[in-house]
Parts: sequence; structure tokens; C-alpha cells
Amino acid sequence: MERTLTVVPDDGLHARPAATFVETAGSFDAEITVGAVDGNRPAVSADSMLGVTGLGVRGGDDVRLVAEGPDAEAALDALEAILSTPEEDLDDMELP
Amino acid sequence: MTERRFEGIGATPTVGIGTASWYRPTDVTDLGEPPQPETVDPATERDRFDASQADAEAELEAERERTRERVGDDEAAVFNAHLQFLTDPQIESGVQDAIDGGLPAPHAVKRAFEGPIEQFEAMDGMMAERADDLRDIRDRLLRLLTDTERTDLGELPEGSVVLAELLTPSDTAQFDPGAIAGVGTIKGGRTAHAAIIARSLGIPAVVGIGEALTEIDDGDQLVVDGEAGAIIADPSDDTRTRAAESTQTPVISEAVSTADGTEIEVAANLGTPAEAEPAVNRGADGVGLFRTEFLFQDRSSAPDENEQYEAYHEVCEAFAEDVAGGKPRIVVRTLDVGGDKPIDYLNLDPEENGFLGARGIRLSLGEHAEIFETQLRALLRVAATDAGVGLAVMFPLVSTVEELEAAIEHVEKVADNLEEEGLNYAIPELGVMVETPASTYLADAFAERVDFLSIGTNDLTQYVQAAARDLDRMSDYQDPLAPGVLRAVDRTVTAGHAGGAWVGMCGEMAGDPDLTELLVGLGLDELSMSAVTVPDVKTAISEVDTEAADELAASVLAADTLAEVRDLV
Repeated sequence: MERTLTVVPDDGLHARPAATFVETAGSFDAEITVGAVDGNRPAVSADSMLGVTGLGVRGGDDVRLVAEGPDAEAALDALEAILSTPEEDLDDMELP
Repeated sequence: MTERRFEGIGATPTVGIGTASWYRPTDVTDLGEPPQPETVDPATERDRFDASQADAEAELEAERERTRERVGDDEAAVFNAHLQFLTDPQIESGVQDAIDGGLPAPHAVKRAFEGPIEQFEAMDGMMAERADDLRDIRDRLLRLLTDTERTDLGELPEGSVVLAELLTPSDTAQFDPGAIAGVGTIKGGRTAHAAIIARSLGIPAVVGIGEALTEIDDGDQLVVDGEAGAIIADPSDDTRTRAAESTQTPVISEAVSTADGTEIEVAANLGTPAEAEPAVNRGADGVGLFRTEFLFQDRSSAPDENEQYEAYHEVCEAFAEDVAGGKPRIVVRTLDVGGDKPIDYLNLDPEENGFLGARGIRLSLGEHAEIFETQLRALLRVAATDAGVGLAVMFPLVSTVEELEAAIEHVEKVADNLEEEGLNYAIPELGVMVETPASTYLADAFAERVDFLSIGTNDLTQYVQAAARDLDRMSDYQDPLAPGVLRAVDRTVTAGHAGGAWVGMCGEMAGDPDLTELLVGLGLDELSMSAVTVPDVKTAISEVDTEAADELAASVLAADTLAEVRDLV
């Protein structure tokens, strides 16, 4: 199962949004990868902070999420919500 | 000694003065040659790594909580990122591979971080700062693995200016803002953690100064100018004086609210129109007391209507131009002479017009009615101008409802005359300056007849305590914190609100930031003070929690003696 979406936080997948993203990805029973749609770096495991920040994804970039496993759909929903939320509203989000 | 100036990037809008103190953490990456692989037991080394990882996690969690409490969630979030880097599968497998290859845990950690650090260093902008995060995590693990003692940044003597190559989030989490007068770093940018934390804690900081910074020695006297982005070593007296002036509380130009969102107007007390501009520059929202006596003093006759019009208009304009929304409130007090303010051509008698004689509104309604009406004409005309929309007129020393009604009749009469003459006018907000015990008892009756009340604590204290302000021997009675005065203030605010008026305070008391919480708790809507204390009071308001302030006010009002009140505030 996969989903392509545009990253909303200005700083992209970096610092706080990345930390929230990785933490959330790790909480689901699913194998999840994330990759930049326009980029030459290979997709990385969504529960690796190093991998996710290393993508160098900025706000406005498109990313592709791929998930396999029992929680795949729920995981994609949660990760999509994080990537669609401006950083300043992240605190108000209910995370799984 | 001549000044030496070190230019960098200013990270805070503040200035500090202090003594240089170099922070040089031990270089934990200097591990020496690894032992022969066959002497290394992989299982033992893995256990060592696991233990250091667990310790690092505990440290990070503690630092995250400390930062969250002192600075806020946003700044604490960096520790979440560190926690995730720490347990990252790529790092863990890198460490495991190195251990399997025969390296002891410290060398394995150093090697596992090499690749990722290089990868981030090669990226641009903010991503490059992630390399600093990784170094910070690596060094934390190495420090724990090598049992290296941590350099304690929390124990610096007061007035220290911390100088360092770079300050990591773990370094800044130890900062004691009370002790640290400033920060200067060789590396780093405005978005570096040290810069962000320094900003949040209000510590003056200059970052990215470069290797030149090493010319400064421990103990050198420094001015850290976070606004200009420079550190000045061995500052001249001149530089030092200027720095000391600007170490004052930063100016807040916007309207301020308490921490939980109650907006409190912070206004300035002015004696002349020339004071308007400086008050705007100090962040005053408006004018809570414009004394008009200056227009009447040091001359041989009263000023005419046009001269007064110009003066009042000038003050309104100074604020209207610079204050957001363009409708700052300018409270002008009608002529308040008598008592301690003699004016030659008004023929005041020290006895007749003393503190308990004909002064303030009593003169305006009596022998000086003509002067009063001229002043009201000027004010009503200014109120009709663009700049004058926020004009308000306040009557001093009112102690009966009859006086207030008579004063309002004068306003109406002046308005009728201006109407007949075809001149532009508007009736401004009207208010009473509450200065006498009678006026505190009548606050509800006043509030039903005017828009606002403003408590003049200097005269109110004098009259409530029956102690003349000009008698030094009475100074013990001249304390606005005296329970009798505070209860009079409380009564005024409560009754004023019940009557539908807003209630401000324009005495000395309003400008004391140590009393701001109490005054908010007492329910005042506006505080007016000499312009110089506006920034301190605005800052104090932004830190007030209204619930705590209400409780403070309740316990202060329950106190029967000045000593008890003093203990509470």
C-alpha cells in the first residue's frame, strides 16, 4: 500500500516534524519506507531518524510512503496527518 | 587598554556585560589506537554499548524535561530528535558491525557515527546542523563509555560570559540564566540550538564569531551585544555605560496580555508633549495621565484655547502615528492646581488652596470656571480630529457626585457653544481621578455617570492615611501598600466595574513591576506610569497568571498590617 503526498511543514522532514514522524512510524505494526519523489536518494525506513532526516526533504517536496503489514493503512493515515500539519500546529495533534 | 571587537552573528536582541569563561569540554573522540582485535570480547563490548545507550537515554530525558520546564515544548523537541538518533537502527547496526570486526565499544561508536556525520555535513543549510546533533550524541556516548567527567556549565559564577567553540543542546540545557551574562561561540548560526535556547532564556548571545574569539582569555571583561552581533573585550567606560543602559528590559511595542490572555493596557504618565515620543519608544500603549499644569506654569497668564489645542493634539499625534490600530487612549487631566502646585496668576493661597482646601476640580467649578471651559473647548475640538479619537478627559480630586455632574454640565455647555459656532467637536470619554476617600465610596455612583475611573494612589494614600505628602515625618504612612489604601483601591475597582466603567491606576504604585501581579489581581484594566518603567511592567504582565494573581490579591486584602502585606508581595 502506498501514498504520495506533499510535505507541509516549512522545514520539511527535519528536526521536530521528523522526530514526530519517526516516533509515530515506530508505533505501528507495519514496515514503512519513505522516499522523496524527486530525489536520487533511495527510500529509507520510516523508523530511522537518521534515514528520514538524511532524505533532506523540505516543505513543498513530494514524498512517497510505502507500508506493508497489519497496521499499514492506519500508519499511512497517521503519517499523512503529520506531514500535512504545519509545524506550529503539531502540538495540538492527537498522535496514536 | 583599547577595546577589541569581535564580530559575529547576533542571536538575541539583548546586551550583557560579564567576565569571559571558556568552556572547553574534554575531547572524548581522542581514543588512541584500538587494541588488537583478538583481545576484544564482542559480547562484553556490546553490553558496554547497551549500558552507555541506556545512560544517555536517561540523561536526554532529564534534559528534555528540564528544557521543557524552563524554555518550552518547542525547544525541548530537539531532545526527542536526539533520543531517536541515539536508538537509530542504522547507528545500532553500525556499532554492532564494528564490534564484530574487533573494535571495543568506544571505537565502534566513533566509527558508526562517521558516515552519517559526513553525510549531513555535505548537505546544505539547516541540514548541516544535524551533523552537530550527531556529534553531540556521539560525544555523549563516548563520555559515558570512557567515564569522562562532565564539565559543569550549571556551576559558573554569576556574571560569566560563556565562550565555546560550539554549544550543544546538552550544554545549553545546563545553563543557569541567572548566572550567565552572555554567550559567544566560534561556530554556529542563528538557528543553532545554542542561539535558540539563549534567545528563549533571554541570554545575550553572539554566535559564529570564528577563530578570532580564541584571542579572548578567561577573566577578560566583555560586553556581549546580541543585537549588533559583536563581543567587545576590554570595553571603554563609554561602551560599558551604553551597554548597561541597554541591558534594561526589552521594549514591547504591542499591547500585552497576562500569560492566560487578559489584556492590560500599559500607559505612560506625561508632564509635557515632549515626553510623548520617548513614551512611544518605551512601548507605552497610550497615555493614562497627561498633566496639563505645564501649560499654565512659569508664565504670566493662562494659555489660550489654540495653544492648548496644539499641545493636546501633538500628544495624540505622537501616539496615533506609531501605535498599531491608530486609536491609542490619551487621558488628559484637566487643570489640577492648588496644594503643592502654586501658579502665580491664579492667586492661590497656601492655606485656602492647600491639600484640604480648594484645589483640583473645586477650583475649576469655582473661581477658575472660565479657564476650565477654555480647556474643555480645546479638548473637545481635539477629540474631533483623526488623531484625537482616543482622547479622554479626566477630572481631578472629585469627591462628590454633585461636582461630577457640574463638571459634565460644563462639558455639555461647551459642546453646545461649539455646535452654535459651527466648530468641529466630539465629546470624549470622561472619567474621574479617584484620589479621596469619598470618591472610593462613591465609585459606583461615578461609574454610572462616566466611562472610567483612574486611581491616583499618591493623593489617595495621603488622604486615606491622613498624612501630608510633603511632610517627611509622615513618610511611614505614605505607603500605598498600607492595608487601608489597598482596601480603598479594591473597593474602587469593584464598584467601578459594577457601575460599568473601566478602572485604571496612574499613581507611582502602577509603575512598580513587583506589584504588577497584585494590581492585576485587584482587577485593574489599565496601569499608567512614568515611561521608563513601561517595559518592566509589560514584561511583568506577560508573566502573570490571573488565577494566581486573584489569590494573591485575596490574601493581601485579608492582611491587616503593612508588614503582612509586605511579606506577601
